[in-house]
Amino acid sequence: MAVIEVVDLVKEYMITKKESGLRGSLKSLFFPKKTTIRGVDGISFSIQRGEIVGYIGPNGAGKSTTIKMLTGILHPTSGSIQVCGISPQEDRKSVVRRLGVVFGQRTQLYWDLRLGESFELLRRIYQIDKTEYDETLRILTDVLKLSDFIDTPVRQLSLGQRMRGDLAAAMLHSPEVLFLDEPTIGLDADAKHAIRSFILEINRNRGVTVILTTHDLDDVEQLCSRLIVVNHGKVVEDGPIQSIVGKLAPKRLLVIELQHLGDDLSHPSAEIIKQEGLKIWYQFEKAKITASELISDLSRKLAIQDLSVQEPDIEDAIREVYKTTARI
Amino acid sequence: MVTTVRHYYSVAVCYARMAIQRQLEYPLFLVSWLLMIPIAYFSGLWVLKILTDRFQSLNGWDFSQLAFIYSLGQFSHGLLVVFFITTWYIDGMVIQGEFDRLLLRPMNVFFQLVVSYVNFIGLVDLIPGTILFIYASHLVSFDWSLANILKLILIVIGGMLIRAALFICLSSVSFWTKRSSSLIGFTLNLLERTTMYPLSIYPFVLQMIFTFLIPIGFISFYPASEFLGQSSGFHIPFSMALWTPLVGIVFFVISQLTFNFGMKKYESAGS
Repeated sequence: MAVIEVVDLVKEYMITKKESGLRGSLKSLFFPKKTTIRGVDGISFSIQRGEIVGYIGPNGAGKSTTIKMLTGILHPTSGSIQVCGISPQEDRKSVVRRLGVVFGQRTQLYWDLRLGESFELLRRIYQIDKTEYDETLRILTDVLKLSDFIDTPVRQLSLGQRMRGDLAAAMLHSPEVLFLDEPTIGLDADAKHAIRSFILEINRNRGVTVILTTHDLDDVEQLCSRLIVVNHGKVVEDGPIQSIVGKLAPKRLLVIELQHLGDDLSHPSAEIIKQEGLKIWYQFEKAKITASELISDLSRKLAIQDLSVQEPDIEDAIREVYKTTARI
Repeated sequence: MVTTVRHYYSVAVCYARMAIQRQLEYPLFLVSWLLMIPIAYFSGLWVLKILTDRFQSLNGWDFSQLAFIYSLGQFSHGLLVVFFITTWYIDGMVIQGEFDRLLLRPMNVFFQLVVSYVNFIGLVDLIPGTILFIYASHLVSFDWSLANILKLILIVIGGMLIRAALFICLSSVSFWTKRSSSLIGFTLNLLERTTMYPLSIYPFVLQMIFTFLIPIGFISFYPASEFLGQSSGFHIPFSMALWTPLVGIVFFVISQLTFNFGMKKYESAGS
């Protein structure tokens, strides 16, 4: 059953074009040049219960605008949205009761107060039964390791601790759907790991549907089974992650450092794109040869000192999409 | 209905407790209020004193009566500062996209806005106002009967609603224009000037406006006229104990409609 059903969603903005200088300012005051911009331009998709979907695209592609419409913050210009069978624009309160929302760049916790204080407020706002609340909080404290800092004022928390606090705050009322807008932005490896395991845990054990926007390819690869890629307000790709990443960024890089130069550096399935002294960059296609096959082939004839495999950047991959859609 | 009231009450209490804790985090701020507020009051009173010393009376109102009208108006101002101070900052919240979070919670947005910060420090504002009112009511030999006290309470609450409604309507402009802080300063000045002097000193057109369009006259001028037996220019039937709360409620409902209408225009802020 579809938890989220979006059909032909459109959001238009009016912007006034300003010309430079005083003359321009005066001109636009009396004769404003208004143009309509489509931030979201006819998006449709449906998300099933229990999915973890990555909603990705470059900055300004319309990701946040879509999320804000799905959560009832913004009103669409046209199109329809159903979350758990209800329109967030018609019955905001019923919809948001079932949603948890985390904005990575903003917190819903109260800066001057202990973390636990914000939780108590949320308990009252969502009318969570006391015993149920205690139980949920116990589990969340356990999984997110909140006990070290639950009595610390939020302004003294590290970014990673604050993000864990924000995740707990979004999960207190046991939402059916969780929206995460760049949940790992600015975090170190440890904190990222904690947050990813938490997302997987609530998805598996509680069946929470997760919609995630991110610029972090690792997030996407470790969490999402499905990707929706948007650009210029339109859906450009929608499908399982393997096929999309394979399609958008089929090439990997292998960088090796040799002890001494060999006679034959070439390999039939890989292309040397750069060489600096003993350091060599091979580009290869994931579909044709695996990294380990390539490494074992090369190590048979070359004395390898050090090596690393570089994953394609999701940003690059999306830039590729952008180029192709522009051509059409 | 009962469960809804209980729900909203429980959230309001929790927010209030948090607001007190937050305000106690910054004790110097409290001290600055304690210093500034009495100065503001007594400079206001001083102006009235100078005016009446020079002109004997203002349109038939002497100093003690002016002090009465001024301090009566300050009651509703004090309550406004305690309960509705967040409505002064709506434009900042619109620009910063801070309504996002309120919209994500299953409660009325305006309610959350107001209860999210009860300005207990503003209670300080009520102290000099009260002292002044006791002093002025002594000068005009105000009759402290039970009926008059009830009347006073109704008028102060009504006055607070009128003031709040005015700020809510003007702040809601920022849903369209994004800026309204200059309107807030202007309104504070307007309210100060129109609630401290008798409305009857203003030209007829302004009296009409402050009675029917922006009903500021009901905050202190008409009630004070009634208490003091002064002529108010217009003959208004029945008591101000009825009119001020009624006008307050109607104006407040209008302000809610304006706010909700503006909320539909809310555009959040970029990612």
